[in-house]
Amino acid sequence: MLIAAASAVGTALLEVKLPRGIDFILQNSPTPQKYLIETMPGGVALLDYNNDGLLDVFLVNGGHIDSPMQTPENFDRHDPRYWNRLYRQNRDGSFVDVTAEAGLANAGDGNYGMGVAVGDYDNDGYPDLYVTSYGKNILYRDNGDGTFTDVTAKAGVAGGGWSVSAGFFDYDNDGKLDLFVTRYMEWDTKDSKDCGGNYHTYCPPGEFPRTTNILYHNRGDGTFEDVSERSGIAAKKGHGLGVAFADYNGDGLTDIYVANDGMQQYLFRNNGNGSFKEVGMEAGAALNVDGGPLSGMGVVFQDYDNDGRPDVIVTTLPRQTYAVFHNDGDGTFSDHGLQTGVTMLSGVTSGWGVGLEDFDNDGQKDLFVAQGHVLDNVEKIDPSLHYLQPTLLALYHNGRFERIDPGTEALVAGRGAAFGDLNNDGWIDVVTTVVGDHPQVFMNRAGTAAHWLTITLRGTRSNRDGLGARVQVNGQTRFATTAGSYESASDKRLHFGLGTMKTAKVEVLWPSGSRQILNDVAADQFLEIREPERP
Amino acid sequence: MIRTALFLWLALQTISPEATQHLNAGRLAESQQRIDLAVTEYRKVTELEPGFAEGFVNLGQALMEQHDYAAASDPLKRALELDSSLVPAHQLLGYALLAQGYAAEAIPHLSRVHEQGALGIAQVETGQFGEAITNLQAALQKRPNDPDLLYYLGRAGGLLSKQSIDTLLAAYPDSARAHQSMAENYFVLRQMADAEKQYLAALQLRPDTPNVHLELGQVYAMTSRWPQAEEQYRAETKLQPGNAEAAYRLGNTLLQQGKAHEACVELQRSNQLQPQMPETLYALGKASALGHDDVAAEQAWSQQLKVEKDGPLAAQAHFALAGLYRKQGKAAKAEEQMREFQKLQGAAGQSQERQ
Repeated sequence: MLIAAASAVGTALLEVKLPRGIDFILQNSPTPQKYLIETMPGGVALLDYNNDGLLDVFLVNGGHIDSPMQTPENFDRHDPRYWNRLYRQNRDGSFVDVTAEAGLANAGDGNYGMGVAVGDYDNDGYPDLYVTSYGKNILYRDNGDGTFTDVTAKAGVAGGGWSVSAGFFDYDNDGKLDLFVTRYMEWDTKDSKDCGGNYHTYCPPGEFPRTTNILYHNRGDGTFEDVSERSGIAAKKGHGLGVAFADYNGDGLTDIYVANDGMQQYLFRNNGNGSFKEVGMEAGAALNVDGGPLSGMGVVFQDYDNDGRPDVIVTTLPRQTYAVFHNDGDGTFSDHGLQTGVTMLSGVTSGWGVGLEDFDNDGQKDLFVAQGHVLDNVEKIDPSLHYLQPTLLALYHNGRFERIDPGTEALVAGRGAAFGDLNNDGWIDVVTTVVGDHPQVFMNRAGTAAHWLTITLRGTRSNRDGLGARVQVNGQTRFATTAGSYESASDKRLHFGLGTMKTAKVEVLWPSGSRQILNDVAADQFLEIREPERP
Repeated sequence: MIRTALFLWLALQTISPEATQHLNAGRLAESQQRIDLAVTEYRKVTELEPGFAEGFVNLGQALMEQHDYAAASDPLKRALELDSSLVPAHQLLGYALLAQGYAAEAIPHLSRVHEQGALGIAQVETGQFGEAITNLQAALQKRPNDPDLLYYLGRAGGLLSKQSIDTLLAAYPDSARAHQSMAENYFVLRQMADAEKQYLAALQLRPDTPNVHLELGQVYAMTSRWPQAEEQYRAETKLQPGNAEAAYRLGNTLLQQGKAHEACVELQRSNQLQPQMPETLYALGKASALGHDDVAAEQAWSQQLKVEKDGPLAAQAHFALAGLYRKQGKAAKAEEQMREFQKLQGAAGQSQERQ
């Protein structure tokens, strides 16, 4: 189905079509026991694992669950139906499943898959994968020859418990990517329970104890050190789901925002000495506009209003509305859900994967949310709510997000969402995951109505991909990251819509602290910017 | 317990010494909570003095103290056969019959002695909801916090409402009010599509029916269809310009859409129509803050906290004030408000834990 949606400058024209070669189905294995893990996967990553200039797709699978689950837990991940999958993109836009040859088959029978993070932790120029699970997490090093090696044991990043989202970032600006992992709760299938009385639903997080997130420091020798305690991260237990990174207070240090489910959200301010302080409450970024807790699931930490400061949007459950924490530039945030129209857009939906991307290339970031209720039988409890929901695409104009047709009327149980330019046409595409179903691929067919610029950062003193850099283009700001959304990892390239502008002024503030300015950069190109090797 | 000195004196005046002896023994046993013995003694009184009505009353009362209402009924009925004017017998028999589910039979006895609480309950059970409400309300004047009376009053109100609606639906199934009533049922069940359909049918028949636009607006508000909700609330405020709730809901809907100025106008109007409603003041504060009128926002929330110091809405006002002061650089005041917010949140949390 091809549906046009008009906008002020460009025209977002999304086509939802599963490309040839992608046959993945997210196997969550729902059971009458209502094990909570069933409704929480799964992630998707857009990465160019073989550096051929085309984005490839990695999809995380759940696993098989016995009804009831036996001990020890076995999710049959050796069965190909439950493998995570890597699809390599061909020149014609089709994909080929390279999971087995890449060495990514069988993610371990004891691991029920959740999410994925992407980052070049060893600075070798190839993106590495970190897969989170209920069970153990796995770090796959990209060997550069089309294969990956499981280096989890050597790296010391297996984690444990129930990990959900993860992201690579460089918190100490030492040029090596560190790793943050959210964990949801203290839970296992043995001590699970269902809620909802006769209706048997998944329980809310408050039914189970909170747990800690994990911060791993990259030693630079292929190993990581768990610094959760030392850094202060472990001092705050929560129900962590989403995580995103940006420097919210302009001190040159990357901060962490964690979307917690059913409680206050956490903003970990980077103190610059290896430690963090949780300041969500005092910064006004922890609770909704009425002081209520949020069922935070997905999160994006980017600048939606082009004031140069990263804002936070947290996706939540129905009746809460998604939170829009506007960065006021004084170290605090204000909830701008009403001003921006997001309150109107999210009263009866559940949001997961989320992104702020410029879909119509007009120079304003738009909002995309993968939606679907957490309870697969929510209609029995509240007929005014629905498990399967439409995808939200809202263009940002004149200070407000306005809903437009996302290119499909399909109602789905959306979860992960990753953003990137799949066909290198200068327009942002999206891949989302759907519980129990194929992923959705949203191809942007807006054409040539507006100009754009896509930037690849090449760090030298900073980490190789420049994650954490602040990039400003014609008054717009993006913070380089692959993290954010929910359980997913997006294209590392930074995409900017330029509207009618045919040239751009580009300013990069690298994590190393060096500042780089490029004037009169031609529009409509993929530009690599190399960090000066000397300050 | 029905005991009066006069009753005892009368009894002693009319029966034999042996019967009197058993009567006294029964009284003593009863006072010592030895109810089995009291029953035995009173039964002997009725055997010795079969025409002595008060003896049967005593026996019935003792049996009732054993919660044996079926056994109590016979001696109480016998007492009334002997003397139909015996107030305690009517009262006790009314209770005994009601306790056994013979509500219709209990009513004449309870009515005779003006036992309005029990009478109201019996009337609820027999479907006389209007009369029941009158009697239960009268009884509550004397016993304001009686849980049984409160429960039955609520039940009577609900059943009377259902009875009226059933009559409406049976007699005028295609009327606007019938559609409205069905819509309300669907709304309670959260079946919003059906509720919307019925409200629209009601409006098609009688566009000027009070409250239908208001209720349809709530259907749209519950499903986040704010422009449609606004349209309905505007229609209601046009129909009922004096309705404070309609003005409040319109104002809140405008607020949800980010229309700060328009929201303030309606919320201020609502506040004039029905002053000092915490919900209105809280929303007015939010609308004012959204419109960058911090002074008005502070005034509204402060006023709200004077009206209602505790509860979730008060917590929200403290939270909002904290945010306002933080933005104004008034750190100490912001912290003070946050402390109040957290105090109320803590109280709410403890309350929930207790539940």
